[in-house]
Order: sequence, then C-alpha cells, then structure tokens
Amino acid sequence: MTDLNMLISMIVLAVGAVEESADRFIHNPEFDALALNIWLVWVIPMIGAMLSPLFGRIGSRVRDTAPAAFSLASAVLASTLIPIALAGDEVHSQYTWIPDLGIRAGVIADTLSIIMSNLVAWISFLIMVYSIGYMKGDPNLVRYWFFMNFFIGSMQLIVLSDNLLMLFFGWEGVGLASYALIGFWYKDRVKDYVGRIGHHAWGIAQYTSPSHAGMKAFLMTRAGDAAMLAGMFLIFIHAGTFEYKLLLEDKAWADLMHSNGLLVPAAVLIFVGAIGKSAQFPLHEWLLEAMTGPTSVSALIHAATMVKAGVFLVARLGPLFFAVASNNVGLFFEVVTWVGAITAFMLASQAIVNKEIKKVLAYSTGSQIGYMLLALGIAGLSAEFINGYTAGLFHLASHAMFKASLFMAAGGILHIAESRFMDDMGGLRKHARRTYVFMLAGALSLAGAPIITSGFWSKDAIFASLLESHYIYAPALFWMAFLTAVMTAFYTIRMVGMVMFGEKSKHLQELEHHGHKLHDVGAIMWVPFGILAGLTIAIGVAGPFVEGQLHELFSRFLLNSYGVESHGEVAINPEAVASSVIAFGIGSGLGYIFYIRRAASPEVVARSAVAYAVYRFLENRWYVNSIYYWAFVIAPLFISRLAWRYFEVIVIDGINPAFQFAMAWWSKVVRYMQTGVVQTYIYAFAVGIIFVLLLVIAGSGA
Amino acid sequence: MYYLLQAVFIPLLLSPLAYYIGKRHGVNASTWFTFAIMLYSTLMLLLASLQGRYEEHYSWSQLGEFGLLLDGLSIPFALIIYILSTVLVLYSKPYMVHKIVEQYEHEHANSGGAPVKAVVEVPVEYINSNMGIYYALYLAFAMGMLGTVLATNLVQFYVFFELMLVPSFFLVALYGYGARRRIALMYLFWTHVGAVVLLIGLIAMGLAVGSFDMAAVNEAAIDEGLLPFIAGAIVIGLVVKLAIFPVHIWLPYAHAEAPTPISALLSPAMIGIGGYALARLVMQLLPSTYADISLWLNLGGLVTMIYGGAMALMQDDVKRVLAYSSISQMGYFLFGISSLSVIGSTGSVLLYVSHGTGKALLFMMAGMLIMQAGTRSLARLGGLAGKMPITAVTAMIGGLAIMGIPPTNGFMAEWMLFLGVLESAVSVEHGSLVRVVAFALAMAATVLTAAYILWMYKRIFYGSREGMEHVKEGSMYMAAPMMFLAVLTIVIGIYPDMFTSIIVPFMKALLGGGL
Repeated sequence: MTDLNMLISMIVLAVGAVEESADRFIHNPEFDALALNIWLVWVIPMIGAMLSPLFGRIGSRVRDTAPAAFSLASAVLASTLIPIALAGDEVHSQYTWIPDLGIRAGVIADTLSIIMSNLVAWISFLIMVYSIGYMKGDPNLVRYWFFMNFFIGSMQLIVLSDNLLMLFFGWEGVGLASYALIGFWYKDRVKDYVGRIGHHAWGIAQYTSPSHAGMKAFLMTRAGDAAMLAGMFLIFIHAGTFEYKLLLEDKAWADLMHSNGLLVPAAVLIFVGAIGKSAQFPLHEWLLEAMTGPTSVSALIHAATMVKAGVFLVARLGPLFFAVASNNVGLFFEVVTWVGAITAFMLASQAIVNKEIKKVLAYSTGSQIGYMLLALGIAGLSAEFINGYTAGLFHLASHAMFKASLFMAAGGILHIAESRFMDDMGGLRKHARRTYVFMLAGALSLAGAPIITSGFWSKDAIFASLLESHYIYAPALFWMAFLTAVMTAFYTIRMVGMVMFGEKSKHLQELEHHGHKLHDVGAIMWVPFGILAGLTIAIGVAGPFVEGQLHELFSRFLLNSYGVESHGEVAINPEAVASSVIAFGIGSGLGYIFYIRRAASPEVVARSAVAYAVYRFLENRWYVNSIYYWAFVIAPLFISRLAWRYFEVIVIDGINPAFQFAMAWWSKVVRYMQTGVVQTYIYAFAVGIIFVLLLVIAGSGA
Repeated sequence: MYYLLQAVFIPLLLSPLAYYIGKRHGVNASTWFTFAIMLYSTLMLLLASLQGRYEEHYSWSQLGEFGLLLDGLSIPFALIIYILSTVLVLYSKPYMVHKIVEQYEHEHANSGGAPVKAVVEVPVEYINSNMGIYYALYLAFAMGMLGTVLATNLVQFYVFFELMLVPSFFLVALYGYGARRRIALMYLFWTHVGAVVLLIGLIAMGLAVGSFDMAAVNEAAIDEGLLPFIAGAIVIGLVVKLAIFPVHIWLPYAHAEAPTPISALLSPAMIGIGGYALARLVMQLLPSTYADISLWLNLGGLVTMIYGGAMALMQDDVKRVLAYSSISQMGYFLFGISSLSVIGSTGSVLLYVSHGTGKALLFMMAGMLIMQAGTRSLARLGGLAGKMPITAVTAMIGGLAIMGIPPTNGFMAEWMLFLGVLESAVSVEHGSLVRVVAFALAMAATVLTAAYILWMYKRIFYGSREGMEHVKEGSMYMAAPMMFLAVLTIVIGIYPDMFTSIIVPFMKALLGGGL
C-alpha cells in the first residue's frame, strides 16, 4: 500500500518537474566556452601553492609577490564568470574520476557559486596584498604563502564543485590550511598565545598556545566532518550519487529516505559538518583559539571565507532538500534556525566582556554567522523561501567585507600597539588616522548603523524575514536576534572606544618612552582594508537597491536550479527597520557612554554581586569550553590510562609469562643455535632456502 | 615470460649473493645490488599487473599446482609490498650502518665493563658482513610476503606464510632494539602459533575438498559439521597475524623494537597480509560462512580500532605510538572487509594501500628521529619542524593518510570503507541496529585517530625543546624514499582509479551486484 502511494507521489513529482522545466531558462551555448575558466579558478591558486617553494628560491621579491599574482589571476578568472550569473544561466563541466563507482569530477558555475566565488577571490586577493606588508620579515614565508594559496584553491573548490565528494576535498583542504596557519608560529612563544595567561575556569586553562589551538580546531571540525560524511553516505546509499544535479533530477531517493525515516537525520548530519566548519554552537569553541594565527589569516580564513563554508553548504543544500521534499524537511530547517539563533546570542554575549581585540572580532564572527544560518533556516519555514535566503546571503557578503576589513585594521593596531589586549591601547585615533577612519566604517557596519552601512541593510533583511515567517517560534527568535543586535552594537562601539578613544594606556606610554614611535601602517596594509571599508559604506548607501538586485538574481536562481518558485518583490518592512534602528541606538548608546565619552566606568559591574557573577559567566565562555575539556579530553584520557595500566600492562602483557613455559622449549632450541657466529645463521638460512627450492623442484617433477 | 616467477624467486635466489657482495665490496655495492634486484622484481610485477588479471601455473606435487595469481584482490597488496620493499632498501643503508655501529659499540663497551663509554673502533668488515646479512634476510622477507599474496594453493600459501616469518624473526633478533632476542622469540612464537592453527584449518579444508588448489575449493562440498571448525581455525590463525584485540600483544613489541626499516615493512605490509588472507581464504572460498560470522568480525574490528587508538594515546615512544596505531588501522581493515558490501570491501583493500604508504612514512620519520635526534621518546622531542622540513612535511602527509584526510589515499580508502559499512548496516539483507551503532562509534573513532596522530606530531615538531637545537635533516638516502612515498600517497588519493578499477570488479564478482 505504501509502495503504491510512493509510486503515485513519484509520478506526480515527475509530472510536476516536466511542467516546471517548461518555464526554465534557455541555456546560452556561448557560455560553455567559460568551462575551462571555472576549473582554473581553483586550480591556479593550487599551482601557485605548489610553486611557492620555487619562488622562495628565486628571491624574496618573487617569493612575496608571485603568490598574490596567482590569487589575482584566479580572481580575474572568477570575474569572467559574472555574465553567466547575470543571465541567470549556468555552466556545468564534468570529467570521469572513479568510473567503477559512478563518480565524476565536475564544477558548476551558477548564480550562487559565481557570487560566492567572486567574493572569495577578491577578498583573498586583497588580503594577500595586505599580507605582503603584514608578514614582512617573518622567516617562514614560503610556508605561509603555500598555505594561503592552498587555502584559496580549496575554498574555491568548495564553492565551485558540483558534487559533495569533491566539495569534501576542498572542505578538508581549507581545514588543513586553517590548522597549519593557526599553528603558523609553531614554536609556541608566549607572545603568540591567546587568552589571558593564568585564566582558568573550572580547572581548565582558557589560554592557548598556537600549536594547541591548531590541534583543537582540527579535532573539533573533524568531529563535525565525521557526522557530515555519515550524512553524505546515507544520501549516496539511497541516491547512488553525490552530484547536486542528479539529486534534483530524480527525487525518488528522497521519498525512499523519508519512508525509512532517514531523510531528516541525513540532512542534519550534513549540517553538523557545517556547524563545525562555521564554528556554530555546539562546535564553536575552536574559533576563539584560532586567533593565534597571523591576523591576515584570521581575516581571510576565520572571518571572510572558510567559516562561511558552512553557510554556503546550507545555501547549496537547503533549497535542494526544500525542492525534493518540502513538506518533510521542516525539522531540518528548524535545527538550522535554532543553532543559528543560539550561536548568535551566545557568542555576542561573550564578546561584550572580552579584552582581546581579535577575540572580540572572533566572537562576533561566530555570532554573525549565526545570523546567516538563522536566515537560511527561516527560509525553509516560510511561505517565501526567497526572503530568508536572500537575507542570509546578503549578510554573508556584507559581513565578509566589513569583518575582513575590521580584522585587517586590527592587525594594523597590533603592529602599532604591540599587544593583543585592548587595555594596552587607547587614544590611538590621533596616531593612526587612516586605520581609525576605516575601522570606524567597518565597525559601524558591524554595529548596524542605520541607512549608510551594508550591515544595517543585511541585518534588517534578516529581521524582516523573521517577522514575515509564519513559524510559530518566530517571535522568540526575533527577540533573540534583536538582543543580539543590541549586544553587537555595544561590543563594537566598546572595541572602537577602547582602542581609539580615551587616554593612552601605560603600555603605550612605555613604548613611546622606549623610543617606539606610534605611527600608522603603510599603504600596502591600509589600502586593502580601506577598499573593503569603502565598499561596505557604498553598498550601505545603495542598500535597498542591492538587496533588490540580489533578490531578483536569487529568485531566478532558485527557480532555474531548484524549481523553487517565489513571488513578489522586496519591500522595506517598517517594523524591521524600526527595530534595527532601536537596537543600534540602545547598544551603541551604552557603548558611547562607557567607552567613548567615558561618562561612566564599566567597573560598575564589580559592585553588584549579580552583575559580577554574570560577568564571570560570560568571561568563562558560559563554561562550555571547560565542560568540553572535562568530557572530551580529560575523561577519555583518564579511561585510556586506566585501560593502559590495568588492562594492557597487567592482563595482556601478563599473558606472556603464562607462555614462558611453552617458550622455554623454544629458547633452548634457539640458545643452541646462538653460537655467536653469524655464519651459523646464514648456513641455517641457506639450508632453509635449499629446502624450499627442493620442495618446489621435486614437486614440479612429480 | 615468467613475470611472477621472476618477481618471487629472483630476490630469494640472489639473496646469498647480496651477502657475499656486501662482504667483499662493501655497503654501497650491496645496497645498490639489492635495490637493483628489488627494482627489477617490482617492474616484473608491475608489467604483470598491467594486464589486469594474470596467472602463472606450474605443475607441482600431489598437493596440486604451484600457481602465482594476480587479480583484483592481490594486485594492490603485491604492488604495495614490493614498492615499499624497494624504496626501503635505500633508506636502510644509512640507517642500518648507524644501527650496526651503535650495536657494536654497545656490545664492546659493555664487555669491557668500563664505566666511561670508550670510543670503539668498528671494523669495516664487521659492518660490511652485517649489512650483507641484513640485505640477504631482507630479500627473503620481501619475497616471502609477495609469495603469500600470489599463492593459489593452500599448502603453497602456508609455505610462503612461514617463509616471511623466519627472515623477519632473524632481522628482529639480530638488529632489533632492547631485549631483541626475547622479543623476536615472542614474535616468532605468537605468529607461529597463529600459523599452526591456520595450517590445521588449511589442511582440513584441503582434505575435505580433496585438493589443495584454491580454485577447487567449493564450500558446498564441505561437510557442514566440519565447516565451522575449518573457518574458525583459519580466522583465528589470521586474526593473530592481523593483531586484532586481544591477540595483539606481540605487535607493539615486535614493531617497536624491530630495526626501523623492518618496522616500516612489518607494520603496514606484513600484518595486512592477515587481512588479505581473510579475504582470499574465507571471504572468497567460504562465502556463506563468512556472511554468518561477519557481524562478529565487524565488532572485533570496531573494538580493535578504538582500543588501539586509545593505547596509542598513552605511549611515549614514537615507535610504540605507531605500533598501536597499526593495531587500530587493522581494526579499520577488518571493519570494512566484514561489511559484505562491494564498496566497503574495496575501501578495506584500499586502506591496505593507504596504510602501506602512510604508516611506512611515519615509521621512516621515526627512524629519522632516532638517527638525527638520537631519541624516540616524545617527552624529549620537540620543535623539529623547522629543523627537519622534509621529514616534517612527508610525515604530515603520512599522518593525513592515516587520519583519512584528502587529498591523500587514506581519505579514498576510508570514505569507501565507511560508506560500505553503513550501506550494509541499513540494507535489508544484513542490516541491524548493532551495525548502525558500530558505524556511529567507528566514525567517532576517526576523531580518536586524528587525535593521537596530531598529538604525536605536535610533540615532535612543534614547540621547542632543549637538546634539539642542533638536529638536522638526514641523508638523502633516507629523505628521497620518503618524498617518493609522499607523492605516491597524494597521487593515489587524487586518482584512486588505478586501484579501484581492478578492485571493484573483483568485489562485484565476489559479493554480487550493487555497489
């Protein structure tokens, strides 16, 4: 009976697909010539990486400029694909890979991948240029450039691949680059640590060395990846393919999996991979320690690109699940939504109290990615998939720009102030005017300053999609998002205030006293983040227009690639705008009072026991880090040690003496043989060979 | 053309010559002579493998035919065994000279009883003849391993199985570390016990079907009452070789204390032959019995995987970490090969390949540390990444292969392996909740694997440590083979088709349809 139902539903789905395809775009064959470019976008940085040892041999100029040239070439090639996206078209190119398992290698350029690819390519290029200045004088630049280009290539592979297996190659490639670059200063000098030395919570150190941080990042994301592989396998077992297009073509697998009760579990398992990569709750703890890497790395990998891979994956697969089984995957979208909302709230609350400039930005990154996932999740729970989808991706793009800019500016500050703590800064706006201006632009965008910043419009779009969805818990989610926005504005202004305003700290005065002149960074550093800061303001000014364009592009994309229809235009939602403005007002107002005008001292919290307890709770990261160490490091090691001491050493090794009796006979034989003359062994050995040969020859004669 | 006959017997026949050349003309001559033999034999093997399926048969005694067979199952094993044996010849040269000198000094300093370590002059003849012996044994060992995986006759299989045991016993006893004679005996004893149990099973099987040729074995013809005993004896004999928990006891000793190039052969190449034999003798010859016991093997693999990984975390000796890691990896192998799925079994065979290159690289790293840093204790190592860049990079590639991270072959092996296990776990035929849970635990165990590899790597290469300031990269004899294997690891990882195109059809024919 159920089989019959399934058959009917399959037929209905098949007919539906035919009807839809009638409205679809007509592929322009001229674009097929661009197929090679798609491959080159990710292959060229890989080649650049492989050649970097060679560049290192030639000379320091070539070593430092050639890698940037490779990333520029990749970016230019990515831009040649833009017309495809504007036409709403797509180009797909495939080659055989593992034919016996029906696996092909392929790349696809459609609206989503082209936008993402360009974003990655150009931001990467700017950061590569910035790196030339930022990393100047480091003795291990060949390794640095190798992993930077390797990272870019892997990231583009994630974006452009047309199947999950190849995506996973890029996925682990960026993870490897992240591991290697977090631990770039592998000698673990104390100045490269993150966290306040000596800060413990529940007996667990809250400060980390670079090599430890790298390992932590690798293992935490690996845990997510293991789940992701399990999800991919479930889909492959039922669909027989990893390719997105084939998964969309024949939807029978989704029905089969739904009837087995495996569809949502598979989707959620894949999403766990995204949680790990995008540092979302509960796998968010690695991102904070990842700040041990050079700041250029934090800007590229841990702000603008790699941590967005999880969002990208949801943007890639979310509509796919929605298209193949819209009524059966609601739970998946709920999980995405809640994970995003919780992370956004949790990490923003921790950013409020942190004293390290890079860690504030790192908390903020995790929190903002939570916003994006919240939007993508709510898309699947709304009547109009497109609204949340556009909002999430718009925020992704705008965050990539302003956060990369902020990180690069922070890197400049680190150079100037020679400390990672904001307590050691202060009053820097007079000494670093350009950094100040650009950092302010980026910070306003992060805080969501109304009308003129891209961050305002993209966050507003998320609010609007929440308000317009009919998900029953949408109001609760909205309040979480709203509070997050308040906190975001507060910690951002706090950061600017602590770094740029007020008196110069003791640390800075000492530096000046020792003849260190405080001066702004050079052009090779400020131009890249200046460009991004300018862009975020430009996009902000044209906010509604940009959003409208994206809306248009993505609704065509969803229809053409996934068959998901959408209706209506973007309209400004007054409630959303009002709440965005209010959130910014409250948060930045408080930040202004405490940290810029310094009308009140933030030390008021120490006076109230409750406020101080909250402060400790936030500073100790809600104790999540401590719980993880107890549960996943200390406990397993303890159990292993028990097994080692009392089982392996006593029981298993104890078997041997039991056999000593038996072995006594052997040892007699051997002692007899051990005449001390090696020749004896050789003779014995030769006799053995002759014996075997005789056996063979005699046998063959018989 | 007698490709395989040459590949198997040329190393054996010429091994005494390697000894005499070494004794007469020195270490260089014996090294390159041995290398030439291995290279030639590997080429013969490669030529034969290119034909897909390739067989040679020679009439033998009443026991049946003496045959050498390359097919989808044996090609990956045979190639890895000989490729590793070939490159490790070069690696052995500086390493074993160092080891022999050290051993001589140690013995002679002790016999004098002098409290201060006297500078001992090591006679060149001593080195030469010992290197000769080493290479002679080495060749016999390599040939024994190859013969085992090519054998088509049960008795022939057993003969080669023992033939690889004896030279490896002597290699450990003569050139090992620590209590080397006792450990060699223990190794010989355990694997010999396994081999004898195996022999009983093989003879019973041969008598039951009336022929010792594998091709003639027909499960249906064997008395049903006898079948469990035959299968049981063979499986028990082989899991000792595979070092499956709890009969893994001999492995950490033998692999940690063997001279390092031999560890690099023992660990990835030799113990995996137990897995090969399981596929060849049980999965292929006794398929329905195998299906019955597969769940137990699956669970045995799971326990071994986790237990080996947990024990690896507890070690301070680099070589013992790697030895326990090998136990864990053989758990992976067993886990996949008992999945009864085409793709899972393919993954297991590919895991032998990836473990072969990856673990060999890591053991070679250990040897490099012993020679250059003078210690293998993790507590005393540290900060070597910048001082030994080639070792650091190649070891990382080896580590990635063991962790199953792309673009190394380890990823290709592991995704197929785990996908296959999950496939049978949710399938109608073999599906069960136990298998699903086992799969989930095994996926979690991959994190454990990553943990012990990364932790070991961190303690060797990161941070800084007193006494490690003047460590330098070793000789190119050692570094070049490592670079070769690292490249091979990645090439297979990106283009696994060279192996899957032969393994998958074999497994399809064996396990029938599907993926």
